Amino acid sequence: MEVYSPEGLRADGRRWNEVRNFKCHINTHQNSSDGSSYVEMGNTKVVCLVSGPMESPSSGRKPNSSSNLTVSISMPSFVSNSRKKFKKNDKRIQELCIFLVKTFEQIVIMKNYPRTIISISIVVLSQDGGLLPSCVNAITLALIDAGISMYDYVSSINVGLYDTTPLLDLNHLEENDLSFLTLGVVGKSEKISLLLLEDKLSLDNLEKLLAIGIVGCHRIRDIMDQEIRRHGNLRLSKITNK
Amino acid sequence: MDVISIIRPKVTGYDEEDSDVEMSDVEVNLDKDSGLKTDVVTPGELVTDDPIWMRGHGTYFLNEKTYSAVAGSILKVNRLLSVIPLRGRYQPETGDHIIGRIKEVGHKRWKVDIGGKQDAVLMLGSVNLPGGVLRRKSESDELQMRNFLKEGDLLNAEVQSLFQDGAASLHTRSLKYGKLRNGYFVKVPSSLIVRSKNHSHQLPGNISIILGVNGYIWISKNVSSNFDSTNSKTNKHEAKLVNHGKEYNPGQGTLSIPKLEESSWEIYSDKNDPDISESIRSTIARYVNCIKCLSHCEIGITEQRIVTAYEASMAYENAGSLIDVEVMENIGSDVINGEKMRGNG
Repeated sequence: MEVYSPEGLRADGRRWNEVRNFKCHINTHQNSSDGSSYVEMGNTKVVCLVSGPMESPSSGRKPNSSSNLTVSISMPSFVSNSRKKFKKNDKRIQELCIFLVKTFEQIVIMKNYPRTIISISIVVLSQDGGLLPSCVNAITLALIDAGISMYDYVSSINVGLYDTTPLLDLNHLEENDLSFLTLGVVGKSEKISLLLLEDKLSLDNLEKLLAIGIVGCHRIRDIMDQEIRRHGNLRLSKITNK
Repeated sequence: MDVISIIRPKVTGYDEEDSDVEMSDVEVNLDKDSGLKTDVVTPGELVTDDPIWMRGHGTYFLNEKTYSAVAGSILKVNRLLSVIPLRGRYQPETGDHIIGRIKEVGHKRWKVDIGGKQDAVLMLGSVNLPGGVLRRKSESDELQMRNFLKEGDLLNAEVQSLFQDGAASLHTRSLKYGKLRNGYFVKVPSSLIVRSKNHSHQLPGNISIILGVNGYIWISKNVSSNFDSTNSKTNKHEAKLVNHGKEYNPGQGTLSIPKLEESSWEIYSDKNDPDISESIRSTIARYVNCIKCLSHCEIGITEQRIVTAYEASMAYENAGSLIDVEVMENIGSDVINGEKMRGNG
């Protein structure tokens, strides 16, 4: 299979700088959570529910130094083609959870939420590459929907390197073939809050990847912002209606 | 470097606004209401770079500039600038009439779930115990706290004060507060409850309702007790609705001390009235579903609207059919249209 053709097209017909179809909704599960979101990046589909801030179950007993943000990811066996069973304490998934907790601890204004916990649960409906980026985007939206104060959006995307060409937003097949970088960017700035590289990459290519990745994240952020505003205006119009 | 993203065309006529353009207005007409953006702000958005504003909830301050921390609308009170989130958990304020559920019995206090960020605290000293207001709390009271209120009990109370971290301290030192019986509990988003002078109302059909500011609602059989409440009807409509002589208005009655003395263990009883008729039960169910309709349509919940929704719901004979999404939306639009017709929509 050809990852990137000489004409400049990828296997799924995108160019190097094209993001997959990005679709997002917030407030999808209004009765069962404080904040919820649904994110689709191409064929990767993720639902995120946030509950909290709420009283931590062991509060008052001892000042627990551990985080008051928890993330859990559940992957049903139908998410990928191989129908593989994912255990609850799968190493890979636990690692993802830790990345997400570390990222969002910095973004949520935790000092506003003393003695409380915020629990985030993610259900992956379909996995076609870019799992971590879609989780980051889904959590950002769900936290905003829950009315939790945070410094800014975090948007995330992955960038791979084919020869010397950076490819934006890899799908599963491309992820298998290329070495890639996942990055999360704070709002419209160039601050990187999440950077993950799991294989090798030559250093002189890094800057190129970061540059296109940041621009890609900004684009994702704009789409998310648009959805939040659309939803917000809808809500506000209903309130003035009353 | 350009990034192209593939998204489906938007159907809604949303046009993206350039926030920078609007921001320049802020300095020009600060005192006018139009000075700040009126539509939704999102996290990380610059609200103002003018240092004269005090920063309230939902904002943060960085490099002399105020940014929004939540998605919501801007609220200004004098020089205080805050952003009200579109959604979020209930934030208690002193004086709120709320409904809560006992979660834990602790040392001289109850922990009460009020749907907020933290559990509220109800001190043993801030409840009325059998034997009148002037009774002193003894050690034996401390030991039998579970006889008054135990885990899972519902009560209505008032927020007495707030702690440093925003947690609430409650009190029930009035006969209108206390344990709840003979009714049904519904939960709606707290943003739908409009703060008003009165949160307990009488509804047609011999039903009373308590709209807790925290979004917890209690609908119960009207307790027709043997004293006349000395309330003054401010609402004409309300006066019209209640046309039976003796009514007990939990939110409006003021009682003399002897009456209080009479209050005994009865107020902490766990027994429902034995004679709640079938019709009362189905009326309660209908009201519950009406409230769910309003909540589904995200219409603010007021006494007037509940009554309107109830009347509209009479078109459906079976109260159970009101949970159908289509029916809920019909009733929601009926309520809105009804208000428009009356000219206060």
